[in-house]
Amino acid sequence: MKDIEIRSERFQWIVILALLLASLPLILGYTLLILSSFSKEMVTNLDLTSFHFTLENWLYLLQGKLAITGGIRVDIWRIVFNTLLVALGVALVVTLVSTMAGYSLSRIDFKGRKHMMILLLILHAFPGVALIVGVYLLYLLTVPQGQGLDVLRLYSFFYVILARAALEIPMSVWLMKGFFDTVPWEFEWSGIIDGASRIEVWWKIMLPLVKPGILAVALFAFLAGWQDIIYVRTFLIDQTLATFIEANIEAEYSHMPLIAAAGTLYLLPTIVFFIVAQEILLQSYSGGIKG
Amino acid sequence: MVEITLKGITKRFGNFLALDNINLKINDREFMALLGPSGSGKSTLLYTIAGIYRPTRGRIYFDDRDVTDIPPKDRNVGLVFQNWALYPHMTVFENIAFPLELRKVPRDEIERKVREVAKMLHIENLLHRYPWQLSGGQQQRVAIARALVKEPDVLLLDEPLSNLDTLLRLEVRAELKRLQKELGITAVYVTHDQAEALAMADRIAVIKEGKILQVGTPNEVYYKPKYKFVGWFLGNPPMNFVEAEVEGDYLRVYSSRIPVPSHYREIIEKLGIKEVILGFRPHDAQIVKGVGDGLLGEVYSFEPLGREQIVTISLDGVFIKVFAPEEESFTFGEKVTVEIREDRIILFDKEKEVALEYLYKD
Repeated sequence: MKDIEIRSERFQWIVILALLLASLPLILGYTLLILSSFSKEMVTNLDLTSFHFTLENWLYLLQGKLAITGGIRVDIWRIVFNTLLVALGVALVVTLVSTMAGYSLSRIDFKGRKHMMILLLILHAFPGVALIVGVYLLYLLTVPQGQGLDVLRLYSFFYVILARAALEIPMSVWLMKGFFDTVPWEFEWSGIIDGASRIEVWWKIMLPLVKPGILAVALFAFLAGWQDIIYVRTFLIDQTLATFIEANIEAEYSHMPLIAAAGTLYLLPTIVFFIVAQEILLQSYSGGIKG
Repeated sequence: MVEITLKGITKRFGNFLALDNINLKINDREFMALLGPSGSGKSTLLYTIAGIYRPTRGRIYFDDRDVTDIPPKDRNVGLVFQNWALYPHMTVFENIAFPLELRKVPRDEIERKVREVAKMLHIENLLHRYPWQLSGGQQQRVAIARALVKEPDVLLLDEPLSNLDTLLRLEVRAELKRLQKELGITAVYVTHDQAEALAMADRIAVIKEGKILQVGTPNEVYYKPKYKFVGWFLGNPPMNFVEAEVEGDYLRVYSSRIPVPSHYREIIEKLGIKEVILGFRPHDAQIVKGVGDGLLGEVYSFEPLGREQIVTISLDGVFIKVFAPEEESFTFGEKVTVEIREDRIILFDKEKEVALEYLYKD
């Protein structure tokens, strides 16, 4: 780690302490959630008197036994699969669109390029919730009529992936444009002179050079798809982890520590990705965004 | 193995005129240097030849073929960039093989050709490394190998040596010149370093503000500069310039007087010109101690360089630089006379800054 060495070492611990204090509610919340998932009762205070270790919650959850007493069962693996399908779908669409759109915004001088960039920024500023009525209208207009439930279910996956991806695309395109901007023109010229077409240059030279950006964009999109509740709740016929938790959190039969386990499962990819991909994400924030 | 003809090339970027009616013929197998300060348009001209830029006006011919509207890949040119532009995610082998792969050359032929060109550039033992594992000099060789592997008709080089350290630059300079002659390839070399251009090129085109000022052999542009700028830009230290006034058969230079050089007498008479700029190279004059026939001045400073020394002389407040042998010693403020080799004197028009003989011809 390089830095300009003018900062006084003495005050560094104050900074760290302040950061720790600021993130304390988050850390506390997550800790209690994870502890509860391994406990017979919910852990709601700091003295841990209510913590009694058990693996039962996780075992029941993974078997799909929702309530400890009753016979209510769900196919939890199916739900995880659905979540994964939405998340991967969103990641795929976003990555595909943003690597191509980012390249053209960065490298191709077409009419309306400036306007498009501004438009993308404005679109990014719109919260997904605000758009949901319109997006729902589109859903109603495009949903296949008179088909069986299976077709409808499939279409709802298709639709939710596209709709959710559309929300992520403006920011991702900007990120990718920033990455492409950092690649010197000479790489591209060199490829052109060597006989590559513009598409070949994009695929064989530019994409490998912006790999960290692609990874970051794909990760963000995956997490967005994995975590999404509003769009999934509105359009998807099947359940994902988010809607599963939402549906069961207030059910009479639900055993809260079990829901805590589901919540931990739901958080898992986020935690794993942020730990694994810290470097890449930092790079995308500091190096990626350039106008 | 092609002759390049540029006819009336003009290139505009928006309102900026980068190239202004460039006419130039680059002969087959010739090593042509495009020399100019930064921002002069020399790289733009190179990229226009390569096909990356399309000229706003004018045509480009390779032999008799009009290539103006032909895309770069069909022009069969090799280009070496200033930053070399080696693809970081490919090994040296893959980098060199890339142009051939795009041409769908069979695998075994790629293998053979890459090894051949790598051997020629002494990088055959680096083929499995990545660019970041190489030194600057090695990277540069790889870039040249990649440009040469497709056996181009024209080799274009955009300041390929400027990222190397001084000693390595001198070494590669000699090698590159030799390589170009051995391959018999037409080469265009962009540089801002006058020493590089003089050392390597068969001919030099001096470019300033999008215009070609002069084209000629290194000797011609060095000893017979058409413009004051050319005399100033070539040579280290540059040409000396002092203002002079014609007084009959003499030139008055501040408080001194020297005869009008014989090769200018007729021209001055015909032009009837009064005010001129006298130019001469630092090594075309000698310093005589004391007051004599020549330009009178005093020693301002002196810088020994080993084999010789540069003496800065003040002529009534105007500084000129003259080479002197190493064994001579000077003191600050010493009175001296500068005797200029008469046949090497160039006189320029004071306003147009053109050498008088060209003014006369036009």
